[in-house]
Amino acid sequence: MAADTLPKVIYEHEGVFIHSNSDDDGLEQDLLLSGSLRIVDKDGEIIVEYRPLEDSVDPSNMLCAGKDSSSVMEWAQCPGERSHQLLETQQSYETEWDMVNAVSFKRKPCTNGEGTLNHSHERSRWAFSFSISDLRSITIKEEGWSYLVFKLKESSTSLPALHFHQGGSTEFLDSLRRYSLLSEAPDDDTCFLVSTPNRALSQSFENLLDDNNFGLVHKLKKDPYVTTLGSFSKVTNYIFDAIRGSEEQHQRPPEEVADLLGEIIPGLEINQQEEPGFEVITRIDLGTRPEVQRRGPLSAEDWAKHLDPEGRMLNIAHLKQVIFKGGLCHAVRKEAWKFLLGYFPWDSTLEERKALQRAKTDEYFRMKLQWKSVSEEQERRNSRLRDYRSLIEKDVNRTDRTNRFYEGIDNPGLVLLHDILMTYCMYDFDLGYVQGMSDLLSPILYVMENEVDAFWCFVSFMDQMHQNFEEQMQGMKTQLIQLSTLLRLLDLAFWNYLESQDSGYLYFCFRWLLIRFKRELSFQDVLRLWEVMWTGLPCQNFHLLVCCAILDSEKHKIMEENYGFNEILKHINELSMKLDIEEILHKAEAICLQIKSCKDLPHSISDILGFTTDAAEPGSQESPRPARPTHQQEAFSNGHGHLRETSHNSCKVAFIS
Amino acid sequence: MTAKTSLLKVILLGDGGVGKSSLMNRYVTNKFDTHLFHTIGVEFLNKDLEVDGHLVTLQIWDTAGQERFRSLRTPFYRGSDCCLLTFSVDDNQSFLNLGNWKKEFIYYADVKEPEKFPFVILGNKLDVSERQVSTEDAKQWCQENGNYPYYETSAKDATNVAVAFEEAVRRVLAMEERTDHLIPTDTVNLHRKPRSTATCCS
Repeated sequence: MAADTLPKVIYEHEGVFIHSNSDDDGLEQDLLLSGSLRIVDKDGEIIVEYRPLEDSVDPSNMLCAGKDSSSVMEWAQCPGERSHQLLETQQSYETEWDMVNAVSFKRKPCTNGEGTLNHSHERSRWAFSFSISDLRSITIKEEGWSYLVFKLKESSTSLPALHFHQGGSTEFLDSLRRYSLLSEAPDDDTCFLVSTPNRALSQSFENLLDDNNFGLVHKLKKDPYVTTLGSFSKVTNYIFDAIRGSEEQHQRPPEEVADLLGEIIPGLEINQQEEPGFEVITRIDLGTRPEVQRRGPLSAEDWAKHLDPEGRMLNIAHLKQVIFKGGLCHAVRKEAWKFLLGYFPWDSTLEERKALQRAKTDEYFRMKLQWKSVSEEQERRNSRLRDYRSLIEKDVNRTDRTNRFYEGIDNPGLVLLHDILMTYCMYDFDLGYVQGMSDLLSPILYVMENEVDAFWCFVSFMDQMHQNFEEQMQGMKTQLIQLSTLLRLLDLAFWNYLESQDSGYLYFCFRWLLIRFKRELSFQDVLRLWEVMWTGLPCQNFHLLVCCAILDSEKHKIMEENYGFNEILKHINELSMKLDIEEILHKAEAICLQIKSCKDLPHSISDILGFTTDAAEPGSQESPRPARPTHQQEAFSNGHGHLRETSHNSCKVAFIS
Repeated sequence: MTAKTSLLKVILLGDGGVGKSSLMNRYVTNKFDTHLFHTIGVEFLNKDLEVDGHLVTLQIWDTAGQERFRSLRTPFYRGSDCCLLTFSVDDNQSFLNLGNWKKEFIYYADVKEPEKFPFVILGNKLDVSERQVSTEDAKQWCQENGNYPYYETSAKDATNVAVAFEEAVRRVLAMEERTDHLIPTDTVNLHRKPRSTATCCS
């Protein structure tokens, strides 16, 4: 089958150099040859291939980097002679590497740097390839950058050293480690001896890498990827600066700020406790973004149709789908939110819910009494309670004060907001009150118009958001990393741009994530967004796709205006209240479908979005509807907890500082 | 061409609710909003002004005050030219915390000579009738802690706001003039911590 022979690119990196001084006379100047290095899986055989760029061999065989002027390199073949092998291939990588095969580029372990193809030209003689099973050792050297010296088994002569002027050596070695064992030479700690398992073993090894055991395999390695790519982004930064020309103004170095943030946000604990590895995500063609339709909000009448005589909700999957597609009419919210948030079980009867509410009312007032009955004397000796109270009092006076429910002095809404937050401190004293929580409560209280119901719905929402507010802010860190992973898949060029502007850790999305867009949208739009998100549709972590949707609309502006670190932060902050919720939801859903229909989705992405990787649905790609909800929904049926980031929802893409 | 515009970064620090955002908004947009939200994350605004013949773009940074957000706030201290330590005259605790804010700033901003760094102290909410901090106490604190300029401001009625920010600019310019005599311009600062240069491959 053709599929068996298509090589799979495991690693690729541009900007790998050969310093081609002729050793004999030593007088000739160092000639820098830039090229690309790849590791490809050709029918189970792992091959390392180096190819100089700007190769001016016979043009009919030439590969050119071009077409795409962005930082994403897309290879295209030049017009000219076509190999018969090309006819059956479609994808650009495959096309290219088949082309390489066609000019017998592979499987010729070159022995002395000249035993390659197309000897006719100076540059092309530097191209080489070898199977890693022929590799004896790799020596790693430093000269301000890293360079690697390869030694093959059947040769006493080494290949030309490869100089990683633009980083990438670490990933290269890491990629090799997936297919071979690199062990330090006993007499030389810069030299790694390479041993490869047999093919069957390597196949199972590869399978192993696909699941969560990936981390075990890579436990040995530290996290050098971060540093390498970090410095790579500096290089691109210089390039961007060069294009932009030197600024008139002397800019204070925002990269210092960024460096520090980068240290904090990715949080080493993430890289350590989870899989320290990463996937080399080569460019994945996501295909076109499908058209989606949104609908109008669910009416009270339609809601009532989903109730059985005892008050149980019927056809919940459909109901959630309708809510996802159009939200709720305001009149329905007071009841529907209790289900969506998980305060009311979907299958409860009206009687059961009344009993539940009675019990929850008692429980609420018992906790409320706890702080209400603290005397001044006690509070004087309880600094944590005092601090919580002081913060709550200050923040309640600064939350949604233009909303009629909270406006004016001594509005009862303010008292309720205060009392519920104080009671929540008693409910979860370890967390207490953290700024941002008043923003999460305010819309819920506005909808519920009832202290007890609002409290318990808030408790459910906080179950989802809890990690955002914890001491280490793990939830924030996890989400920022996940968002970076998604963004990288969706738009590598933009992701690279952000990297180059020291903004790759996406700090500017902090407020979005901390309080789920509460400050970005009008109050009514927040209600709409939240009820849509609480359906758990169309995928896990949908709010991250909402981020992607907003960024997708802003990226052109950001890149065209050459916004730097500060300007990006300012621009994003100033989007507040200028966003159109329906447009965003529309785009976010389309992005979800676009990703879902992608064939070779990296596991990191599937993990984040909760796409089950059951291959038992061969026809699912054709299905325009995300028909999965049925079984996903069951998992989410408690209505909360499903959005909480679990730590094993890790991403294999290492975070870049 | 006229004189070069220099960009100065100043940062507002102080307890939650003392009026940092209100001071910034009053100064930059000349507006006051009683219903302003408390700040989440970090924000900044720019304002162009001329002080003693110098054209300056003032970049004013405003942060969330709660302890929990410290790790995400402190990175922004880097590169500040001036720090405006703010308290509210009707909140004694916010006054008592000035010292902590100063310490936090010096620690995280990585200031080379803390004793020479320009701080300006702002006692805000002058419009509120129930004071908890007297002018004398505030002035004494400023004197004892580095002889800092002190302004009693009201973001609400705009009292002393522009004056305070302009004083911050003057302090920075005075600092720079002093250092300009010592160090030629366009030098590269070699003292910056090299950033992960040792990129070992193993």
